[in-house]
Amino acid sequence: MSLEITAEQEALRETSRRFLSEATPLSRVREVMATDTVFDTELWTRMATELGALGLAVPEELGGAGLGYPEVSYLAEEAGRALAPGALLATAGLAVPALMAGNERARARLLPRIVDGAAVGAVAWLDPGADWSSTSPPTRAARDGHGWTLTGDTSPVLDGAVADVLLVLAEHPQGPTVFSVEPDQAGVTRTPLPGLDQTRGLARVELDGAAAEPVSAPGAGRAMVTTALDHANVVLASEMVGGAQACLDMSVEYAKEREQFGRPIGAFQAVKHKCAEVLVEVEGARSMTRYAAWCASHNTAELPTASAIAKATAAEAYFRAAAENVQIHGGIGFTWEHDAHLYFKRAKTSQMLFGDTGAYRRHVADLIGI
Amino acid sequence: MTADTVSSPIPYSDAALEFRREIRDWLARNAPEDLRGVRAVPRMPSPELKPHLDRWASTLAEAGLMCVAWPREYGGRGLSGVEVAIMNEEFDRAGVPRLTRGMGESLVGPAIITHATEEQKQRLLPPIISGEHDYCQGFSEPGAGSDLAGLRTRGVVDGTELVINGQKVWTSGYYKANMLFCLVRTDPEAPPHKGISYVLLPIERDGRSNGVEFRPITRINGAALFAETFLTDARAPLDNVIGGLNQGWRVAMTTLGSERGGSATTQHVAFERQFWRLVEKVRERGLLGDVRVREQLAWAYSRIQVIRANGLGLTAELAAGRSGGGLANGSTSKIRWSEFQRAMTEMAMDLLGPDALVTGPDYQLDEWQEEFLVTRSHTIWGGTAEVQRNIVAERALGLPKEPRPAKGVTS
Repeated sequence: MSLEITAEQEALRETSRRFLSEATPLSRVREVMATDTVFDTELWTRMATELGALGLAVPEELGGAGLGYPEVSYLAEEAGRALAPGALLATAGLAVPALMAGNERARARLLPRIVDGAAVGAVAWLDPGADWSSTSPPTRAARDGHGWTLTGDTSPVLDGAVADVLLVLAEHPQGPTVFSVEPDQAGVTRTPLPGLDQTRGLARVELDGAAAEPVSAPGAGRAMVTTALDHANVVLASEMVGGAQACLDMSVEYAKEREQFGRPIGAFQAVKHKCAEVLVEVEGARSMTRYAAWCASHNTAELPTASAIAKATAAEAYFRAAAENVQIHGGIGFTWEHDAHLYFKRAKTSQMLFGDTGAYRRHVADLIGI
Repeated sequence: MTADTVSSPIPYSDAALEFRREIRDWLARNAPEDLRGVRAVPRMPSPELKPHLDRWASTLAEAGLMCVAWPREYGGRGLSGVEVAIMNEEFDRAGVPRLTRGMGESLVGPAIITHATEEQKQRLLPPIISGEHDYCQGFSEPGAGSDLAGLRTRGVVDGTELVINGQKVWTSGYYKANMLFCLVRTDPEAPPHKGISYVLLPIERDGRSNGVEFRPITRINGAALFAETFLTDARAPLDNVIGGLNQGWRVAMTTLGSERGGSATTQHVAFERQFWRLVEKVRERGLLGDVRVREQLAWAYSRIQVIRANGLGLTAELAAGRSGGGLANGSTSKIRWSEFQRAMTEMAMDLLGPDALVTGPDYQLDEWQEEFLVTRSHTIWGGTAEVQRNIVAERALGLPKEPRPAKGVTS
């Protein structure tokens, strides 16, 4: 499989776009973002069953479609365009690749539930208040008879309040290890966190002797989180490309119809050049993201660098597109009523998620050995 | 990335893979040792280097490896963009320059092939391949830069000839050219775009001056690589008008449209080499531990990877038999790489510190000083960055055109 977009991928993109615009128009997004958990259960089930959204990159023997990250990327691009609320990034971006790198037992037990939409996945690795670059596990694992328990607090956890499969990094005698925790048990407290971006669900998760099962090999937890992030950044970059494209489309449409000084504002170079610059950035981000998605399925040696670059590049493109979109819309773009702010907030918070652009640049510098 | 593994990002056909093997084998037998390591040809080669380059150019022409994108019936090889990309990759891999016939190959040939009569094709294309005709460009004028259609150089029919008077500017490569391809106004009454002819003008005729005088212009790096061109009763046979009298605008647009080629998968290679040379310099200065410097370098590396990914994606689409790249890909690519180069060389100057303040004797510049200065031209030639933005906004995004007041063109 090469980089070109196949007819099947094109069809997947079209189907996803049509499905999402019907199932979760921005009016619906606004309803969902007024809830604590920012989660639309019906949408989630339909995405899993009608689009097969969560099993695209999961092998067929585990219930998935056996495709790859290019397919996940095209779907995520459409989800980003629609600002679709839900746990696609947390589940398909973080939890699925983490489980794919995990032990066979955890994979067989958890992946089929995720693929058929019965379970939302989330990955938790941050100490509350710590920087994204922090490497100290937020919880401690302890032996409890035959099994393990975890204790400690972790925050922010993407879609942690709605997750049915919590994958948590914990200190273990042999080094940091990822465990799975079923959230419906005594010893697990979850608190939704109100987000600056109201279209994404964040939560604080507190564990107090919660029963847990190892997912990674002992001591391999940090590597598992890194692998998950390499893939999540492909999914996040794809969402950002879709969001950026939505902003550019809005800007161009408005610049064609809004008239001032007797002509459409899009006839003025000050406005049309902004739009052209955004297109250049979005096109570059899309190319880089597409390549990173290809690496996720075909060239894993280059994946860490490619996905880090895609993440930082798409973040810059998205923020630029979203900020210029507010500016091009003028006063109306600054109102709560207009949708421009939803994208603007999603753009900045996505740029900050998992580490800001400077952090990712330093990461790239490390990866290429300078 | 190797081409023949199953995990290539480009869906090469069997024929394309066979072509790669053929070029690789040919280079293994024919790549000249004396040019090994000379990947980029200097704009003005030294007297020592020039004979080596000329010999290699002849070898390539004889082997059918010049003007390779032209159709076979006109002496080319009819290579697709993907195959040209493969050729560039293989020459780079062999460490020898892929020489071309410059503007004759990339600009004039495509215009002739698209718009000329069969007689003109047979007469004017072979000398480009052989190197007998070396072209420089006479489009821009002192009063017609981005607004090219405002050009005023006049062409008047006199029997079977066109008599040309006027002034051109920014004529690159004038010092080695013997032909000028230029736009002249042959109908001053017609609207600006409709009264222009595209003509191939010999710089000398029968060993004597043909009314073409070059006055070198020194560029900001101190080198005189382009000139003002004064045309005084210069004569070209009417048979050298391409596409018909007063039909030159659309011929010129073909030319501009073909100013890019199969460099999509190799463009980043030179940038990457330059990047690693800069890293070495910065390492020598002991600055690689500085977080700010690391972020800047990673930014540059990332932009290069975006250029690479864009080229790979475009080539993958081409290889899959689609046009790829959207409506204004030439313009978006140009904006991306030209503005990257400017920014990267500005950054390099900062990172090189006090040493970058001092040149050699006679304004001899090092690589970074030279690039810092020369890259300013990349956002000007071939359509300024501003014109490229207009093209992107109007063609790819469908935004309304700038108001363009009618302009007088009579002299």
